[in-house]
Amino acid sequence: MAYLLAAYAVTAVVLVGYALRLGRARAALLRGTPRRS
Amino acid sequence: MVSALVTLSVVLAAGWIVWLSRDIELRAGSARGVGAAALAALALWLGMVVFYAPIEQVQGIVQKIFYVHIPAIIPTYLGFLLTAVGGVGFLRTRRESWDQLAQSGAEVGVIFCSLMLIVGPIWAKPVWGHWWVWDLRLTSTLILWFIYVAYLLLRGLAFGSDAAKTFTSVYGIVGTAAIPFVYFAVDLAQGSTMHPSNPAREGLPAEMGRTAGAGLVAFVLVFAWLVARRMEVAALEARSLEARTQGGL
Repeated sequence: MAYLLAAYAVTAVVLVGYALRLGRARAALLRGTPRRS
Repeated sequence: MVSALVTLSVVLAAGWIVWLSRDIELRAGSARGVGAAALAALALWLGMVVFYAPIEQVQGIVQKIFYVHIPAIIPTYLGFLLTAVGGVGFLRTRRESWDQLAQSGAEVGVIFCSLMLIVGPIWAKPVWGHWWVWDLRLTSTLILWFIYVAYLLLRGLAFGSDAAKTFTSVYGIVGTAAIPFVYFAVDLAQGSTMHPSNPAREGLPAEMGRTAGAGLVAFVLVFAWLVARRMEVAALEARSLEARTQGGL
């Protein structure tokens, strides 16, 4: 059971972590980048 | 039925990503719908893993790692194929958007390939008694991972230069040659591998097949959403750099 939980937890951490990283980068760039004319 | 749904999701996701890459900043709004669909598909998949998929008799409950290991395969291959598509597009047109597609496909592909390489050993330890064995499937997957990590490192080291983009485009196209080798590694090993053969060919009990199929569709949707977000970030980075070089900021 520990292996099973570890596998699913790692998946959640990797995917959510990467999505959050992209979200933060996008938000920072949107703040500092002029809109396309 | 299940494999038809998976194939349809892969074709639609790949088509949508390429369509999106033509003008990511204008079309990024459509990613919200895909994100919502991905969340719904993930919820369905998790529900099926917990309540619907049977507990396998030999391996016990640990066999349910299968439902997270297998779905990472298609996004891995799809990411690297999109890198080649983007590479061909960039070499032909020199358009930045193709290069952003190539970069995003590689980065998200590496994320899913890493997942496969982490989750696989977590499953292997209780079942095989080893975290890792140097058989053809595992080793070739690790080599595939190194190929695309090297691609990302090369891009990072030669930030923005046109020569680097040309070189990495060619590298990304050549790199896909490793994919069929990984896919057919179990056949090429001719029985001298611990890794089971491809489940699509083996055939699975209906409940297991449907749960794996739900996982594959969910992961393809998550992959598509992540690539969309990554392409948007790449486009914003390029515009931010352009504004800075022109003294606009």
